[in-house]
Amino acid sequence: MTETTAPMNTKGISIHELGVTFTPEGSEPVEALRPTSMEIEPGEFIALVGPSGCGKSTLLNVLAGFIKPSVGRALVGGDPITKPNIDHGMVFQDYALFPWLNVIDNVAFGLERQGMALAERHDRAREYLEMVGLKDFADKRVNELSGGMKQRVAIARVFATDPSIILMDEPFGALDALTRRFLQHQLLDIWQKNRKTVVFVTHSVQEAIYLASRVIVMTARPGRVKLDQTVDLPHPRDFASAEFRDYEKIIYDQLDEELAKTFKLEGGQGMFHD
Amino acid sequence: MKPPAKTAASILPYLWAAIFIVVVWQLVVVFTKAHVALLPPPLLAAETFAHLVATGELFVHVGASLGRVVSAWVLSALVAIPLGLAMGRWRRFEHLVDPVVELFRPISPLAWIPLAILWFGIGETGKIFIIFIATFFPILLNTVSGVKSVDPVLIRAGQVLGCETDQALFRKVILPAAMPTIVVGLRISFGTGWAAIIAAELVAAQVGLGYLIADGMEILRSDLVLVGMVAIGILGVAIDAVFRIVNDRYSWGG
Ligand SMILES: Nc1ncnc2c1ncn2[C@@H]1O[C@H](COP(=O)(O)OP(=O)(O)OP(=O)(O)O)[C@@H](O)[C@H]1O
Ligand SMILES: [Mg+2]
Repeated sequence: MTETTAPMNTKGISIHELGVTFTPEGSEPVEALRPTSMEIEPGEFIALVGPSGCGKSTLLNVLAGFIKPSVGRALVGGDPITKPNIDHGMVFQDYALFPWLNVIDNVAFGLERQGMALAERHDRAREYLEMVGLKDFADKRVNELSGGMKQRVAIARVFATDPSIILMDEPFGALDALTRRFLQHQLLDIWQKNRKTVVFVTHSVQEAIYLASRVIVMTARPGRVKLDQTVDLPHPRDFASAEFRDYEKIIYDQLDEELAKTFKLEGGQGMFHD
Repeated sequence: MKPPAKTAASILPYLWAAIFIVVVWQLVVVFTKAHVALLPPPLLAAETFAHLVATGELFVHVGASLGRVVSAWVLSALVAIPLGLAMGRWRRFEHLVDPVVELFRPISPLAWIPLAILWFGIGETGKIFIIFIATFFPILLNTVSGVKSVDPVLIRAGQVLGCETDQALFRKVILPAAMPTIVVGLRISFGTGWAAIIAAELVAAQVGLGYLIADGMEILRSDLVLVGMVAIGILGVAIDAVFRIVNDRYSWGG
């Protein structure tokens, strides 16, 4: 099955004092991301957690090349990020499949852009659809799939093009708990076969610890790195194990401090002790 | 595509409507004792219709009218779709062009007839120009709104999947995503073009359904006028049905 797979492509990410301030027309500037730095090694799986509005999506959008940083810079494999390109893959929360294409052509979309011939790209697309367990759905229309299936197609689509980094912004956020567990498992599976650098934004601490080799906790807006926690547990990880619980406690402690700040900022009282 | 039973079911309401119209028509003739030159009975109109079909004359008129509408409509699409794509995508460009469009839009195609004759004479060009005006705006407006309503996340997905130039993005993402709305615009505009054909042909045409009607009036043959009207109605419905089929193909739902 793997003989048609291209040689593995994976790169590290360096973020140097990177900050983003939005200046919407006719209103006050918003500092979304306070200058912050981090180093991500090739093949690492990073989970990014933090209070809502702390700039996680903003950071991901900078890494994807959708927005320019206001200060500092971000490098992928030593090269500055200038504009979106196929080497920096992305999985979106609401799937972003092309509804006018069937499943296999969605997966093959990027391959076509890379100039691969039809037969070859369909072979490759089938191979990746098989990895997410959807080989029999190749000819289905996108609108015939459930949310979980759509996200599996999106995951196959991004891995198939062999990008050097993959950015995921709450990819399982819209799915029910059971589907979510299944997809976490499947994502890990693919990632273990294709050791890409992954930056994965999530609101679930459990999901972060289950998947990531490093969990980065961000402060409330303006966001910056608050905690950088390596998760040193073999896969598959057991939610119920004592070690897992210990990591959960470390991360929740840091997160709760930030959540308290967020709620104070918004005038909330009583949820958290002063 | 559709099972025959379903096709029959979708034709049935039109059949009822036709019967209803014919009955009312006949009743009006009977009760008002209308002169045959003013309102001929349905049977006479049907005979004229059959006669024009038999001699092939009707097809010549239909062909001429259809030819004009199709060429103006294609021309319209060739201009309006690219313009609409650009307007929908680039806000600045839209701000520039939109006021011009809005000023021209309320002017009925009929209002252009005098100028069309002055500018292009009484040949084909003037007629095509009028249909062009009639078909242009529905295509343009639908294209603009189609492009604007493309989910931005699809554009981002296209960009990270290798559509690095605007051109690639248009071809692979924006155009297909806006296609269902554009097809609706094409369909509506064919209808407005078809409706305007009469006006375009009333003036100095030698052939076409509009000519048939205008000529019928001049020689006091209201049966010819009615045949022209009936032909326009039937063809309008038929063409719209074809568009619906194309539409179903291009709408991927949701
Ligand atoms: N285009 C923009 N213009 C102005 N402000 C923006 C823009 N995009 C984001 N922001 C602001 O920047 C801050 C960070 O937003 P961002 O979407 O990155 O947060 P997030 O961490 O992803 O939040 P969530 O967890 O809710 O998705 C927010 O306060 C948001 O309102
Ligand atoms: Mg977000």
